[in-house]
Amino acid sequence: MVTKMNSSEAVDNILESIKDEDSYLDLWSAYKRIQKLELGPSEDKKKAIRLALIGSSTLEPVAACLDIKTRLMGLKPKTFVGGFNTYRQEALDDSSSLYSHEPDLIVLAVDAASLLDDLFTANFVRMEEEERQEHLEKMVHDLVGVAEALKNNGSGLVIVNNFIVPEFTPLGIVDNKEKTGLRRFFREANRMLESTFRDESRMFVFDLDSATADYGKSRVVDWKTYYRGSVPFAAEFIPTLASEYARYASAFKGLTKKCIVLDLDNTLWGGVVGEEGMEGIKLGPTSPGIEYLEFQKSLMSLYNRGVILAVNSKNNWDDAMKPIREHPHQILREEHFAAFRINWQNKAQNFLELAEEINIGLDSMVFIDDNPHERAQVRQAVPDVMVVEMPDNPQLYRKTLENLKVFDVLSLTQEDMKRGEMYVGKRKRAELEEKTGSIEDFLRTLNLKVHVQQVDKFGKPRVVQLIGKTNQFNLTTRRYTDSEVESFRESDDSAVFSMAVKDKFGDEGIVGVAITKIEANDCIIDSFLMSCRVIGRSVETAFLSKIVSYARERDANRVIGEVIPTKKNAPARDFYERHGFEEVGTSPEGVTRWVLDLEKEDIPVPDWIQMVEE
Amino acid sequence: MKKSEERLTNILVKVLLIEPEDLSDDIRRKEYEEWDSMAHLLLVSEIENEFGVFFEDEEVIDMWTVGDVKAALQKKLAT
Repeated sequence: MVTKMNSSEAVDNILESIKDEDSYLDLWSAYKRIQKLELGPSEDKKKAIRLALIGSSTLEPVAACLDIKTRLMGLKPKTFVGGFNTYRQEALDDSSSLYSHEPDLIVLAVDAASLLDDLFTANFVRMEEEERQEHLEKMVHDLVGVAEALKNNGSGLVIVNNFIVPEFTPLGIVDNKEKTGLRRFFREANRMLESTFRDESRMFVFDLDSATADYGKSRVVDWKTYYRGSVPFAAEFIPTLASEYARYASAFKGLTKKCIVLDLDNTLWGGVVGEEGMEGIKLGPTSPGIEYLEFQKSLMSLYNRGVILAVNSKNNWDDAMKPIREHPHQILREEHFAAFRINWQNKAQNFLELAEEINIGLDSMVFIDDNPHERAQVRQAVPDVMVVEMPDNPQLYRKTLENLKVFDVLSLTQEDMKRGEMYVGKRKRAELEEKTGSIEDFLRTLNLKVHVQQVDKFGKPRVVQLIGKTNQFNLTTRRYTDSEVESFRESDDSAVFSMAVKDKFGDEGIVGVAITKIEANDCIIDSFLMSCRVIGRSVETAFLSKIVSYARERDANRVIGEVIPTKKNAPARDFYERHGFEEVGTSPEGVTRWVLDLEKEDIPVPDWIQMVEE
Repeated sequence: MKKSEERLTNILVKVLLIEPEDLSDDIRRKEYEEWDSMAHLLLVSEIENEFGVFFEDEEVIDMWTVGDVKAALQKKLAT
């Protein structure tokens, strides 16, 4: 009899023993040993994830590796593996064991061969164009049908493998002289899959064709296991494939990294600027120096995608800022960095300060430094920071960065793309605040504009994202999926509000979410949360004011709010108290309930905020 | 390079989820719960990859015990 405490320690021991291994045998063995412990579902909602893989081949090998990969990220998965080629029944029967598993994430891995006639490739050359098109449409239609069933019968994400464009074609070098050659046939199928699911927020096409091409299409299959056990992939490729699927799990659970913290000397440029001077460092369009330029361009592409950049360097401020401000080939300028720590104190201490200044968790930061001693010190002193093992050769920096794959999000919102600029706005606001006397005078100079609305389908992805990841200014920290948000939106008694904020330094986009429910004559605030970027500008008061107006429109007499304390939401706890709500009770778990009597009280919009109407 | 005995043991303990000291030649496939068809497939292909050998289907089927596995590999390595 294994007690609960022991089994979680046993899991940790198993994971510890393989954490530096990436062989299929080690991952599989760890999976099997953990399965034997017969763990119940994890009670830690933040870590728990229910995974499922179904498809046309033996999927246990991939499932085993995916299970362990997500555990190594800190998640607590429960993994369901479909039977061999039984995916249709599992998907179409809404009482199948797949659905009773209630997966958060389903991988649908179907080979083209299982959708096409037995002799498809053999007869392809003799087919007329029209017949090829019929096969194409039927194949895609079949797969889309199964994928749609998965979406409609469940509420999780559906990840659909695309088709591997085959290396072999009987048409040989003239394959692309045909209107629809064999390769074009599969490329076209992949294009159709992508356009079918492009606007579906819960459905993703996994580019298996690219993943296999990257690894080497001739190396991804092991013909021995292929014929002996219908295991389509070679042992060496399976962990790589599992890592690709794990990216969706990571994004789903909000493990996405947000910020890259960079060293300068021998990281952003070659050489030591304090010794060699700006003219002496290696940075430019020819070698040596081009590898640093290319690395900076790659960082810039992530910045433009919304990854925050910061500097942590042992240097004199003036020496280090000179190339950033003046070097003709420098790509990343002062305006691209959210914060700087250029000094001689230890880098771990700088990390603590950077996390506070930028206002993000250490666990969402990535450290890039060429110096192994600095890396070791940071790794030891601030273990939550992800420290990248940089290669000695700077020519490999760019590839190392591009291989990280830790910045994935499930949808890329306008807010994500502009995040870098927003943090620069934040730095400038802080500078202004220092110059202005009272906080109200400061807020008046910002020209704040707030727009509150019931969220539409354009704003929904951002709202779902905020619900999933906001920790600090979050009164109840209730996490809802896309489909749960959708049902709040559709119901007459509940409403989902978004708040967008801008000021003279920039447009923050949607930064607040509230969910309300009307019950009899009460308007209950189920969720109220706001990105920590806009804390301190009183926009939450404006937001609450709009909700109170909505409650009046719905003939409510009272607005009722709850505060569920968590480790991180201290900044939000006095919210209702500050706005004149009366406390009416505390549960044994510390949940407090607050009431605003609408006949006596009102919440005015602060006069330095202009409300924007549609 | 490790001795081939050690390399084989390493594979066996990982596939059969067993401690090295509990591994014995008379562990039988049909009686040992962890040694299912998936594990057998894995065992054979891991040995093939590790030692650069290839087993015919009949040889795969005839591996009934840990002793059989060792003997089959020795035979391959001897030829």
